[in-house]
Amino acid sequence: MMEQSFFKRLEVGRPKLAAKARLQTDKVSGEPVLLYPEGVVLLNGPSAAITRLCDGTRSFATILAELAELYHTMPGELEADVSEYLFNLHQQALLEIAGEQESEL
Amino acid sequence: MTTSANQGRKQHYRPFGLLVEMTYRCPLHCPYCSNPVQAPAGGSELSTAEWQRVIQEASELGVLHVLFSGGEPLVRKDLPELVALAHACGMYTNLITSGVGLTRSRLQSLCDAGLDSIQISFQSDEAELADSLAGTRAHARKLAAAQLVREFKLPLTINVVLHRANIERLEQMIALAERLDAQRLELANTQYLGWAFLNKEALLPTRAQVELAQEIALTARERLRGKMEILYVLPDYFGQRPKPCMHGWGHRYLTINPLGEVMPCQTAAVIPELRFDSVREHSLAWIWHDSPAFQRFRGTEWMPEPCQSCSLREVDFGGCRCQAFLLTGDASRTDPVCQLAPDHQLLQDMVQEIHRQEPARIPALRLRVNPA
Repeated sequence: MMEQSFFKRLEVGRPKLAAKARLQTDKVSGEPVLLYPEGVVLLNGPSAAITRLCDGTRSFATILAELAELYHTMPGELEADVSEYLFNLHQQALLEIAGEQESEL
Repeated sequence: MTTSANQGRKQHYRPFGLLVEMTYRCPLHCPYCSNPVQAPAGGSELSTAEWQRVIQEASELGVLHVLFSGGEPLVRKDLPELVALAHACGMYTNLITSGVGLTRSRLQSLCDAGLDSIQISFQSDEAELADSLAGTRAHARKLAAAQLVREFKLPLTINVVLHRANIERLEQMIALAERLDAQRLELANTQYLGWAFLNKEALLPTRAQVELAQEIALTARERLRGKMEILYVLPDYFGQRPKPCMHGWGHRYLTINPLGEVMPCQTAAVIPELRFDSVREHSLAWIWHDSPAFQRFRGTEWMPEPCQSCSLREVDFGGCRCQAFLLTGDASRTDPVCQLAPDHQLLQDMVQEIHRQEPARIPALRLRVNPA
């Protein structure tokens, strides 16, 4: 139920990493890492690529298109994995959906 | 040890979080404070320059989060300088405060320094109870501080330590966190260490209180998922398995006390057999990797039975060493919270004994006093 309403919002809004979260490069491993209050997540390449595009200016469709170009595939191939990853971020209050109200009007 | 094995070990035991206890001084007197009941005698607080060196060393060691705490860290005038340095080193900076002293100009200077997040403690949602627990009139100032934090658009965490006197106000405390627009709420049942161990008879809730609180917390967590993160710390004495304390000794966290002594957790000084090396005498890297105190309970080799052959030994790491010491007098025993521990019955008896006491005979809370 919660998942469905999230996907609806994702289609009309622009995903944005929450203000409390920060994506950076870990000095020790050289790998991307996501930091937020009391939390550390070491990310793999694709997760970091998705997270980087969640800047509040791109729609979900644009994010999929850019990722598809990066990974030489079709957006449809990536949709399920990307939306699941974003749903998990949202569940942890690490992702906001910007601009959905305007689109709904 | 070969270089690559050494490298592997260095990645495996890597501190992600550093708790910086800048001072033991605090305007509050909470009876469950995690600061030592007997503050170390003598010695002086680390200077600004000493903290600066330590923060740089922590960054090189791989620390990703610095938690500025105390006592009350706002008591130190050099807090913004140290936050700025940690920020410049690329670490996520958190301020853990009572909120007392968090004025607009203070907050502005911390924001300018690059502070990432603020955690404010609340004793209750209700001023009278909150102030009596804090031993000072702090509640109204905390409310004002929390509002300021959100006005500055900083992420706000609210932390409430739960015990017999406030656990029945859990719903109101969750509502308060929502009203204050907190991004995260920590509902932490009292851990009976430090001052809380001294006050355990007055703080220990009843089983019915604990069960109701858990239901309320978990329901709120579902309701608020995606909006406000709720962390509910289970009450230790009522569990069947111990907590994975600090995610293992010397594994992911370290604490530096105001005098520069480095410890695997903030209460470890209670264990008399351990001697904690100081950043005034050694590098942080040496203390973390090689000092005897950090190696004492690291990994699984130190474990007695039933931990040694337990399939959960790398899940809960044998529980809490400080708790094992406080309850049994021996820090190397299995945490008595574990149902499988030889000392589990001892803990059960103690809890039962406390619950049997008539409320009128329960000793009054002993409020924390500042070290001389």
